[in-house]
Amino acid sequence: MDGKYETIIIGGGVVGNGIAYHLSERYKEGVLVLDKKYPLSGTSGSTQAWVWVHNKTPSWYAELNYYSAELYPYLSKKIGDVEYKRTGGLSPFFQEKDKEKALYLAESYEKIGIKIKVLSKEEVLVKEQCINPKVVGATYSSIDGNVNPFRLIDRYMRSAKKNNVEYSTYNKVTDIKKQDGQYIIVSDKKNYMCKNLILAGGTWSNELGNMLGINIPIYQLRGQILVSEPLKPFLRHTVSGLRQANNGEVLMGYSMEKKGFNRSTTLDVIQETANMAVHYVPSLRKAKIVRAFSGIRAMPEDGFPILGTVPGFENLYVAATHSGVTLSPLIGTLITELILDGETSFPIDNYSISRFN
Amino acid sequence: MDKTKIICRCEEISYEEIEEVVGHGAKTFDDIKRLTRCGMGPCQAKTCTNLVAMVIHEQTGTPLSEIPLPRIRMPLSPIKLETLATNSTTFSTVKSVLDELELEEGRVK
Repeated sequence: MDGKYETIIIGGGVVGNGIAYHLSERYKEGVLVLDKKYPLSGTSGSTQAWVWVHNKTPSWYAELNYYSAELYPYLSKKIGDVEYKRTGGLSPFFQEKDKEKALYLAESYEKIGIKIKVLSKEEVLVKEQCINPKVVGATYSSIDGNVNPFRLIDRYMRSAKKNNVEYSTYNKVTDIKKQDGQYIIVSDKKNYMCKNLILAGGTWSNELGNMLGINIPIYQLRGQILVSEPLKPFLRHTVSGLRQANNGEVLMGYSMEKKGFNRSTTLDVIQETANMAVHYVPSLRKAKIVRAFSGIRAMPEDGFPILGTVPGFENLYVAATHSGVTLSPLIGTLITELILDGETSFPIDNYSISRFN
Repeated sequence: MDKTKIICRCEEISYEEIEEVVGHGAKTFDDIKRLTRCGMGPCQAKTCTNLVAMVIHEQTGTPLSEIPLPRIRMPLSPIKLETLATNSTTFSTVKSVLDELELEEGRVK
């Protein structure tokens, strides 16, 4: 039958593409990725794209992020330059009371072998000279960094295509049915049939789950970002809320608003973001902003990724999470293992969808 | 149009670079922008919008009237950060990553 595939991945964002690429490393036929628009038009294309471990809690969730961040250097060898930089992550604080919190964080991470240093004011200013001298201290982790999200998804797609993964874009899935041990996917362009189905719809995971009568509790959490003109390289680290890209532009912002799918940028948050930026790095005052943008995080109800099989549905897999950029190399690896080997090399029991029952 | 012609002057993106991503399925200005950086520079697509629409039209046959415009965002022309800042250091929607840490019985959860 035309439109028959071994595996279909719904969603071509960083999570869906990460799975497509890793799957294609091990089997070379019969994988299709469906995207309602074009990859990068949603969450994955509107992010600062930190590869971030630093403040992820509890420790078992930090570990997931840590191992994924560790895969990045190898990933960029395999798929090509994605402008991955392990800059180290710095979260400055300006009040004495935050020091205690920082020390607790360092202590709890030490137990799982992730090093977080609590830096004094002087140490912060040696590491990052542009930080406001009113700083009290900072937490620092050497594993953190950032990546170019456009290059990342583009390279995932190109590498997956090279391994015969097919893509159908501008093709919205409107219904999913189960029939004789197969899944029938009804889309704008045509109907498809597959054995393995992976739901990687990000912010739209709820809608996809509903088509099969499954509850995938994801809500939308907006973030707004400002982009500066290209500046000479001066910001060495990925700072909480700020990073400088390879071309010199500085991305700034770390905001959270529950506004559904509304992707507006708003003056109040833009101003607050400007305040944060000049408070952290006073020399940015004279920098020019060329653009504001916003993106919608796919936030699971309890904040943790939803990964793995779905009880009662054979060969159905869910991968829905925020922090998709940080986690995509590991999620891609683990979902591939789950499909091909029936088990994962890293335990994902904590992330099962069954926890929401 | 000459394939080596620069379409986006800010980011120096040529006709053939746009042609290549249209060949991969990019349909709109914003798709092309994310894949090539065309239109991401200081002029924010003020120069290249129509030129890119022409490339899409030539490559796909889509009528110009059906090619969506790029998404225009604030600020409409570059503006200094100090003009936007109100110098307040209290934050509500904007956070630091340490703000997100929850403590439970004096310990990080």
